[in-house]
Amino acid sequence: MKKELKWAIVLAVIGGLLTTVAFVMAFTTAGVRTFGFVDTPGAVDTVYPLAPPDSQPTDGTLRYQRPWFSQKIFYFHVPLAEASLLVFTLAAVFAVLFLIKRKKSYDTRSYVGMETTLVFSVGTMITGVLWTIPSWLSDWTQIVPVMMAEPRLVTYLFMLLLVVAYFVLRNSIDDEERRAVYSSVFAIVAWLSAPITFFITRINPNGQHPVVFQSGMDPSNLIPFILGQLGMLALGFAIYSLRIAEESSREALAVIKDSFEG
Amino acid sequence: MELINPTNTELYKLAIHDAPYVIAAYAVLWVALVGYVTLILRRMLKIEKEIDVLEDAVKK
Repeated sequence: MKKELKWAIVLAVIGGLLTTVAFVMAFTTAGVRTFGFVDTPGAVDTVYPLAPPDSQPTDGTLRYQRPWFSQKIFYFHVPLAEASLLVFTLAAVFAVLFLIKRKKSYDTRSYVGMETTLVFSVGTMITGVLWTIPSWLSDWTQIVPVMMAEPRLVTYLFMLLLVVAYFVLRNSIDDEERRAVYSSVFAIVAWLSAPITFFITRINPNGQHPVVFQSGMDPSNLIPFILGQLGMLALGFAIYSLRIAEESSREALAVIKDSFEG
Repeated sequence: MELINPTNTELYKLAIHDAPYVIAAYAVLWVALVGYVTLILRRMLKIEKEIDVLEDAVKK
């Protein structure tokens, strides 16, 4: 087995273990925040206080402050998003290196980085939507207007569309050299959307999207969050390395086929 | 740190409405990542097999 493949598998195992520990901690040791209210038919023995008297329903049910269960998605949604931005940066760096040195391996690394970015970005969008529905919406049909009004979601969606466009562009060019040059230029331009989406909630803090750390974090939440981040980064790099190993095997196969046919 | 934060026990009693979304998010994530890694490994094994066959043919 190739050395790079072994490292990729080791990283995948480490990433898998760290994210699993983070997820278990998220449901056990991590503290719970409250968000909105929940109605119960009668009194419940709970640490969560009742809603203010003026907001209590009149039909006999009791309204408590609502423990924020969907916030548990945070422990893998945020690390996924961070991994997507970091792998995107890696892809842009290799695109720059390709344009400077014109080595095919740099184009391959940039392409694989973009592919890994796509996987992580789609995961981020899906987990984000599954967080948004129970946290911000009373009805899932409001999803589009709510998303379109939120700067972080709009800029991240725009970034995802640029990543998809990269593959459309790449697959539309037959000439290998031209394809690599155009793809590299596009990857660099597309990457400019990554810092924009990262900083948008800090530049414009009026949206509903939480800003990590600025929104405050209890120590019991911080440990699983850090473990989740490290684990997801390890998984991201493992997937990237696996794909690089696959592409180098594919290139080796092409060389052998050429020599066999020649 | 306590093994189980008491607020979590309370949360499971009161916020079960959100559970399907959290479970779906985990499921989507893990199926996507595990599926993608499995796909890459299967493709790699196929390529390695092809390389072995061709290398044997070149040697002969």
